Amino acid sequence: MIIFDDVSVTYRGGVHALKNVSLTIDDGEFVVVVGLSGAGKSTLLRALNGLVPATSGSITVDGIEVVGASAKTMREVRSRIGMIFQTFNLVNRTSVMNNVLMGRLAKVPAWKSTLGLWSAEDREQAFMAMERVGIVEKAYVRASNLSGGQQQRVGIARALAQHPKMMLADEPVAALDPVTTHQVMGDLQRINRELGITTLINLHFLDLARHYGRRLIGLRGGELVFDGDISRVDDETFRDIYGRAITPDDLLSESTGA
Amino acid sequence: MTDTAVELPNDAEQPASRPEPPPGARNWRLGIALVLVVAGVWSWTGLDATLQDVLEAPGKALDIVKEMWPPAFKAVIDRGAVGKIFESLYVAWIGTMIGAIISFPLSFLGANNVAPVALRVPIRLLFNAIRAVPELIVAMLLITVVGLGPWAGALAIGLHSVGTLGKLSTEVIETSDEGPLEAISAAGGNWVEKMRWGMVPQVLPTVVGYWLFRFEINVRASAVLGLIGAGGIGGELVSQLNFRNFPEVGAVLLMVITMVLVIDTISGFARRRIIAGSGRKIDDDETSRTVGLIGDLGGSGLT
Amino acid sequence: MSETALPAAARPRKPRPRLGSYVLVVGLACFTVFAARQIDFRWSSFVDMWTNPLWGRFWPVPWDWVLNRRNVFDALIETFQIAIISTIVGCSLALPIGFAMSKLTSPNAPTFWFTRIVMNIVRAIPDLLWGKLLVTAIGIGAFAGTWALTIFSLAVMVKLFSETVDAADPLPLEAARAAGGRHTPAVRTAVLPEVFPAYVAYALYVFELNIRASLVLGLVGAGGIGRIVETQRSTFNFDRLLGILIIMFVIVVIIEQFSVAIRKRLV
Repeated sequence: MIIFDDVSVTYRGGVHALKNVSLTIDDGEFVVVVGLSGAGKSTLLRALNGLVPATSGSITVDGIEVVGASAKTMREVRSRIGMIFQTFNLVNRTSVMNNVLMGRLAKVPAWKSTLGLWSAEDREQAFMAMERVGIVEKAYVRASNLSGGQQQRVGIARALAQHPKMMLADEPVAALDPVTTHQVMGDLQRINRELGITTLINLHFLDLARHYGRRLIGLRGGELVFDGDISRVDDETFRDIYGRAITPDDLLSESTGA
Repeated sequence: MTDTAVELPNDAEQPASRPEPPPGARNWRLGIALVLVVAGVWSWTGLDATLQDVLEAPGKALDIVKEMWPPAFKAVIDRGAVGKIFESLYVAWIGTMIGAIISFPLSFLGANNVAPVALRVPIRLLFNAIRAVPELIVAMLLITVVGLGPWAGALAIGLHSVGTLGKLSTEVIETSDEGPLEAISAAGGNWVEKMRWGMVPQVLPTVVGYWLFRFEINVRASAVLGLIGAGGIGGELVSQLNFRNFPEVGAVLLMVITMVLVIDTISGFARRRIIAGSGRKIDDDETSRTVGLIGDLGGSGLT
Repeated sequence: MSETALPAAARPRKPRPRLGSYVLVVGLACFTVFAARQIDFRWSSFVDMWTNPLWGRFWPVPWDWVLNRRNVFDALIETFQIAIISTIVGCSLALPIGFAMSKLTSPNAPTFWFTRIVMNIVRAIPDLLWGKLLVTAIGIGAFAGTWALTIFSLAVMVKLFSETVDAADPLPLEAARAAGGRHTPAVRTAVLPEVFPAYVAYALYVFELNIRASLVLGLVGAGGIGRIVETQRSTFNFDRLLGILIIMFVIVVIIEQFSVAIRKRLV
């Protein structure tokens, strides 16, 4: 369970990325976060796993306090949280297998992973993760040789290899074409349903949000302006969240294919 | 909320088979590791040193370093060390100038986009030949001809630099835009005019940058050439070392280090200004050129 | 059309180079002349160099002596051995130290600054100077030469490598951290694969440098064929000297071609 209690994040240079955000997310939920660029979506996710330190307030993950946590605690928390990125963040020069194995970093002693000594168990877990997203036949292919959609699947497999309790996805489909977008969103949905992994997704396209989301969180200017079930959401809601009228750019179906 | 995602193959159907790791990569790595180990061991046996030597060496070196403190600046300065430092600088400067002035026109004759094959090949061969002879050897030979002293050093540095600068300048010319050359031809210009107005303005900033870089290296080289009597601070260092006057050695070392660091900083600064000012785009060839350029990084330049 | 011509645009004046540039150029020219006089610059040398009667003593090369195993070959082997060990040891150490010296992968600020400063100072001392210092410290011979070149290889390699790491993609490292990895394993899995080809290219380059340096190390007493070169020179056996030089030349060219060819395949 994730609890944000009056969390604020201010970047060096004075930007108030999050202002007094409070919310609670139960296990197994599927939450979509929307908001304009710069509204704080990315910061929200990154504050959760400590990639960005919160300036004030408290964030607890399964009862463990994240704000001001020690490096060791932070690693422990992060090992329970899988993250996938808009830019995939794969190591381009190496194989899919080596990328997915990175998900095992928290479970393997440091000296072993430094020397590249992954155990059979590690590889088994990696294979299983790849099978779950349907990318296993590419296990030894160089990451940069894959398509965007495939690369994102590798990212998901990497996160799954951690056996996470929750999954954070920072605009996972922004760099993908519409068909692949639906594949990846479907993957995330399936993982949430079948494995019960709490999922938090930042989305740019509003029709996607409405289509896949179950609970919607809206951020505007760093503040939480909407938090509720997707069934209560209509165009009016989006306009409030964005603070302006909806344009075709905000919809996947109108986009010119990523 | 319906699930419109495209159905992915799930475990109920035929699971996609797990591929085997490609065999080639493994073998390569083992092979290379083996080569390195064998080469290392073989080399080790030839060196005629025992484990005890290895363990003792840092200790001995540290003993000497301790004796260098405090460094005897006064003694060394009284012997004219500061003048010698400057002498090294002059040697490096003149050497670099000689190298630059000779190599620049020659590099045009060596470029494959502006010079005919008959000229190119011998010129490039010349550059490579010069580069292959270690500077120290050149200095040694020159000393027999022009006598001991800084002039031999400067000549040696100058001649050797012709090789490296020549090669680098040629590469710059070859990767430059030939459009302006065409324009000058069309306007009726001859070869020299094409070079002077079409090529030189393009390549000059980068080439001058290389000259400065070479100067940095030549400063180190001139310090070393002093070791064999070609002028500069090296001679002073050798004397002090031979007498095992370690505080003096320490002082000279510190002076050398300071000289090198100061020149590196000034030169680096100047180079950045020149490249920035030229606005020349750094293209992807930079990688390969950098790999080639690093042929001149480090070392006393005698390499 | 009627004649309302625009007033002719005023012709701009040619921008004059700033005063600073003039001062710089004149200053450099004066400095050059001054420096030349200080070091006894002689135009005549450019001609003398070629016509000196001494050159006659370099020819013909006594190949029987030069190719005699005892004289030259053994020393050449030693030269290679010095270069190989220095490269292997120096470059191996340069991997972790290079990572420590890069902004992207350095574990903390003190380590970063410390390694940077130390390495810059080490690099400021030319390789042959290290050779001379170590000869004084631990005695004449190849052992000192190896230490000297190892130290120097480390310093050069570390600079090249850390600059490559600085330019590497930081995003995979973020992902590794996000997965809960500790610093060193994260760097090894997320950064090393990207920079490894460059590392190998540099190592080959450093090997080339070391071969060249070890050829002349003997001139300062640190082992290898330089010792023999010096002996022949001081006994005026220039013809033998030329033979040795030719061999050195051939070796350098071969190694260089080899190295360039491999490096091309990597980059």
